[in-house]
Amino acid sequence: MTSTSLVEPGVGAALAAPTLAARTRGLRKTYGSTIAVDQVDLDVPDGAVLGMLGPNGSGKTTTIRMLLGLVQPTAGEVELLGHPMPSGAQITLPHVGALVEGPGFHPFLSGRENLRRVASAEPLMASSAIASSVTDALERVGLADAADRRYRGYSLGMKQRLGLAAVLLLPRRLVVLDEPTNGLDPAGTREIRRVIAELHAAGTTVLVSSHLLAEIEATCTHVAVLHKGSVVAQGELAELLEAGAPALLVSTPDVEASLDALRDNGIAARSTEDGLFVELIGTTAPQVVRVLVEAGAGVHEVRRRRTGLEDLFAQLTEGEAE
Amino acid sequence: MTAAILDRPALDRPVRAPLGRLLASELRWVLRRPRTVIAIVLLAGVPVLIGVGTRIASSAGVGPGGGGLFASLIGNGFVLPILSLTLLLTMLLPLLGAMAAADALAGEAAHGTLRGLLMAPVSRARLLGVKAFGVATTVFIAVLAIAVVGLATGVVLVGTDGLITLSGNTLSFGDALARIGLAVLWVTFQVWAVAAIALAVSAFTEHPLVVMAATLAGALVFGILTLIPQLDWLQPYLLTSTWPTITDVLRDPMPWDGLVNSTLKAACYLVIGLGAAYARLSTKDG
Repeated sequence: MTSTSLVEPGVGAALAAPTLAARTRGLRKTYGSTIAVDQVDLDVPDGAVLGMLGPNGSGKTTTIRMLLGLVQPTAGEVELLGHPMPSGAQITLPHVGALVEGPGFHPFLSGRENLRRVASAEPLMASSAIASSVTDALERVGLADAADRRYRGYSLGMKQRLGLAAVLLLPRRLVVLDEPTNGLDPAGTREIRRVIAELHAAGTTVLVSSHLLAEIEATCTHVAVLHKGSVVAQGELAELLEAGAPALLVSTPDVEASLDALRDNGIAARSTEDGLFVELIGTTAPQVVRVLVEAGAGVHEVRRRRTGLEDLFAQLTEGEAE
Repeated sequence: MTAAILDRPALDRPVRAPLGRLLASELRWVLRRPRTVIAIVLLAGVPVLIGVGTRIASSAGVGPGGGGLFASLIGNGFVLPILSLTLLLTMLLPLLGAMAAADALAGEAAHGTLRGLLMAPVSRARLLGVKAFGVATTVFIAVLAIAVVGLATGVVLVGTDGLITLSGNTLSFGDALARIGLAVLWVTFQVWAVAAIALAVSAFTEHPLVVMAATLAGALVFGILTLIPQLDWLQPYLLTSTWPTITDVLRDPMPWDGLVNSTLKAACYLVIGLGAAYARLSTKDG
């Protein structure tokens, strides 16, 4: 698939910025006879928030680990920020923040001490900036009050926040979040969304994996759906949402009259709890409205039914399973 | 967005965190770990135990029935640190080395923090270097603590009359300190050899317990092999078989051969251990 270029004129020419933050071709990983990932061609456009959606065990984390050079692919190639991985790790990874397979910290150290340790290993972190960066990151994820308590005593949500804080220690080009909302309450989930939106606004590319559809739908500009180790669909979120069968939801008090009028005009429709469900097959929305108005039916509201990523997800994964 | 992109550091060359900062961070982590501190304190308590115990036994009129070293403890404060190191080298110091090595790689892997270091990124060669430094420092601090506490205990119990060697003559305070210093270095290096092997095991597993068990088992197997007469030819290759040579520092003039040979042997173990650890770490999945 071709991706739209996000390179600014002038700036892009000088920097020759990659238009894809990450790219894989024919990526494959097998563990013994188990195929974890197969033929994955993933494109993460620069500046996008790409949601990697898939049921548990669909290869999301394995793909992410190969993107980050943590795992050597069995076959295929990986490019991260324009450099091949894992050989380019020392060039690219300093610009990448990642939370993979849950937060990893030492229980006997405080949140602050843990972050200091992480910050010390960050190549792009100035030694003099460690203390302030750690404090800022802790505040950004709402852990300022618990900063000096031992990690041992943190709740699951606090642990997840600390993992996020480690990602936020530095401005990044790419942020990878593997199941970031695991163990978070609704407030925590909203905060993750807010952080992702902030990163997106700052021009950071975000790759976020989740098995929760609503999560992806709420935060992402792009989506890649994985199933059984393969990418079964990817592209802009809006495009993929349009791809489903289009339909209209009509709110009307004159259900029977409306149904008759539509059926007389060869338009498929059925009644629902609060109105009509009209399928836009062989017809268009203006046509449907005209039919209704000409039939004298009162129309409160007509809106396009979003197919919903959930439908899409179900369609794609079920289709694959059959 | 343009401003944000212009502010970004260039993406064209490898960047690394300063090595000094990594080492300092590792040391901070190692020395803040409660079990490291507790282990070192307990080990440093052993010379006090031996010194006071021997003193009570001798003042109660019970003659030290043990070997020459125990006998020479009476009225000889400088022997205590060396005797303590000799006793601790047989099991507890290797165990400390194994524990530090277990935490260094397997422990980090178990906590998921090794992945964080690899993603920072810290290159795998550097990671091994930093980890080896942390383990080596832990071992050195422990050996030094044992010697210092041993010396202090000896001086308090007996005084600073000089070191009576196993050969019968007396060394000055300065010479005695030099001998103890030599023993500290020699013992440290031997434990490093054990720890290097443990570090290799540590690179292969995510379970710190496996590292401890493997090291313990290795020490026991070496002990058993030493007892089998038919396997005499194996002796020169066993790390533990030359450990008793430490008592050479208590002879005058000091025979260097055994100390040098055992050090060279330990160096071989060290190279093999670090080599195996690197071989595994460089291909390990993060």
